[in-house]
Amino acid sequence: MKVKSTSPLARKIFGRTIRAFSISFWVMVIAFALMRVTPGDPASARLGAGAEQEAIDALREQLGLNANPFQQFINYLSDLSRGELGTSLVSGISVGEIITKTFPLTLTYIAFSFLFAFLISIPIGVFIGWSNKASWVYSFRTFTSIVIATPNFFIAMVAILFFSVQRDWAPVFGYEPGFPGNMRYLWLPIAINTLILVSIISRVLLASVVDTRSEEFVETGIIRGVSRIRFFWFYILKPSLAPTIVLMSYMMGTMLGATVILETIFSLPGIGRELVGAVLASDYPVVQGILIFFGVITVFLSFIGDLLAHLLDRRVKL
Amino acid sequence: MIRRIREYAALPGGFGIICGVSMFLTITILGFARPLFIPYAPDELVGDGLAGPSWQHPFGLDQLGRDMLSRTLAAVPADIGVAFLGVSIPLFIGTLIGILLAFAKNKVFLSLVGSIIDGINAFPLLIIAIAMVTFLGPGLFNVVIILALMNWARYARIARTRAQIVLRENYVEAARLMGYPRRRIIFKHVTPNVSSETLAYALSDFILVIVIISGLSFLGLGARPPAAEWGSMIADGRVFLGEAWWITVFPGLALCWSAVSISLIVEGLSRRDRAS
Repeated sequence: MKVKSTSPLARKIFGRTIRAFSISFWVMVIAFALMRVTPGDPASARLGAGAEQEAIDALREQLGLNANPFQQFINYLSDLSRGELGTSLVSGISVGEIITKTFPLTLTYIAFSFLFAFLISIPIGVFIGWSNKASWVYSFRTFTSIVIATPNFFIAMVAILFFSVQRDWAPVFGYEPGFPGNMRYLWLPIAINTLILVSIISRVLLASVVDTRSEEFVETGIIRGVSRIRFFWFYILKPSLAPTIVLMSYMMGTMLGATVILETIFSLPGIGRELVGAVLASDYPVVQGILIFFGVITVFLSFIGDLLAHLLDRRVKL
Repeated sequence: MIRRIREYAALPGGFGIICGVSMFLTITILGFARPLFIPYAPDELVGDGLAGPSWQHPFGLDQLGRDMLSRTLAAVPADIGVAFLGVSIPLFIGTLIGILLAFAKNKVFLSLVGSIIDGINAFPLLIIAIAMVTFLGPGLFNVVIILALMNWARYARIARTRAQIVLRENYVEAARLMGYPRRRIIFKHVTPNVSSETLAYALSDFILVIVIISGLSFLGLGARPPAAEWGSMIADGRVFLGEAWWITVFPGLALCWSAVSISLIVEGLSRRDRAS
C-alpha cells in the first residue's frame, strides 16, 4: 500500500526540487557534449595551425580528450561532484577561482539593478494599471516596447556619448574595487539595466493589476472603506505580484546573459567579460565552467521564483 | 486599396500593425535595392576617414572613409536575412518535434527529449551562443547553425504544450472516429492549430534573434570585419564616439528601427487578440 506523504504543498516543493536537480544534470550533460560533438579538434584549434603534433597530443591529454567518451563523461561528473571545473589553459588558475573572483562584481550590479527596477516598477504598474486609462496604458506600452526592442549595447553607447563623452559624469571605462569608489563606474551600467528591467517588469505588473482590478474582493475593499495604503498593498499589489516574481526570476537569467555585453563595453572585470575573453582565447575549460555555472544558476533562480510566487499566490501551479 | 487599409487601421491594434509592417518593408526594400540608388559600394573608400554627414554622404564616412549610408543599408541582408533564417529554421524543427512529442507514447524517448529541451532552455540564449562560438568559430554562417541547434527547444516546448491541448479537442477526436490516417490528422488538423501559436512566438523571437546576431558581432564573434553588419559597425564606432558619433548612431538606429517595427506588429496583434 502506498503511504500518503505529508501535505500537498511539501510534496509539490519536493517534486519541483527533484525537477530542478534533474534539469541541472542535463545542463551539465549539454555543456559536456558541446565541446565533444562539435566538429574540429579543440586542442589544435587552441594551438593554431602551426602547432607540433606532440604539443597537440599533450594538450589533448590535459583536456582529457584521449579517453573514450563514456570514460570522459564519468571523469567529468566525478570532477564536478568535487566542485572541480578544470583549470584555465591561459593563466593556469582553476575555473572555480576565476568564477569566485569575477562573479561578485556581476552579482553586485545585477542585484542593484533589480532592486531599483522593482522599486520603480511597483508605483508605475499599480497606478497606471489602477487608472486603466486607455491613452496612458497605450503610450506606456509603446514607450516600453521601444526600450525593450532596443539592444542594450546601443542604449549603452548612446548613454556613453551623453554622459561620458559630452559631460564628464561617468568614466568611459575602467573599474576600481572598493565600495564608494566603484559606484562611480557602476552607476551607468546599473541605470541602463534598470531602465530595461523597469520596462519589462512594469508591463507585466500593469497587466496583472488590470486583471486584479476586476476581481470581486477589490470591490469589497472599496465598499469596506479600508485605508488607501492598506487597499493598494493588500487588495491590489499582493494578488498581482506572483506573475511579476516569476518573470523577475526568469529575467535574472536573461540579464546574466546581457551583462556579457555591458561588461565588455564598460570594461568591468566581471564574469561576462571573462567569458568573452575565454571564447576569444579558445580557453575551453573556462568556457565550459562558466557555461555550467550560468545554466545551474538560471535553473535555481527560476526554482526560487516559482516557490516565492507560490507562497504569494497559492493559485500558481508549481 | 486605400479604403481597405483605412478600414484595417480602424480595427483594434490595426494602426500599430500597419505602422510596423510598413516600417519593416521600408528598411527591407531599401536594403535589398541599395545597389540601384546608392553609387558607392559598402567597402569602397570614397573620401577622408571620419568625415561628417554631408549632402553627398548623409550618414557620414567611417574611420576608413567608407560611405556609412551604403554600409548601413548593405547590412540589411546580414541582419534581417540571417535573423530570418535563425528564426524560421528553429520554428520548423521545433514545431515538428513538439507535435511528434505530443503523439509519442514511448516513455524513455519522451523523457529523454523532454530533458534535452529543458536543459537547452535552461541556458540564456546569448550565453550558449557565445560559448558555441568557441567550438564552431566566428562567422554569420555559424551563427545560423548555432541558432538552429539551440533555439528549436523553445519552439518545441510551446508546440508540445499546444499540441497536447489540441489533441484533446473534439474535432481531432472526430477525425479519429472518421478513420482518417494519422498523417492526415497530424498535418491537416493538428499542425495548423499548433503553428499559429509557434508563429506568434516566432515574431517576438525575431527581435531577440536580431539582438543576438548583432550582439555577437558587436563582441567580434559574429560577422567578420570587412562585412557590413550593424553590431560590428557599432563596435567599430566605439573608439571614435567622441569625434564621429555617426559611425555608431546610424547603424544603431537602423537596428532599433527593425526591432521596433516587429514589436509594433507584435503589440498590435496582441491588442487585436484581447479585443476579440
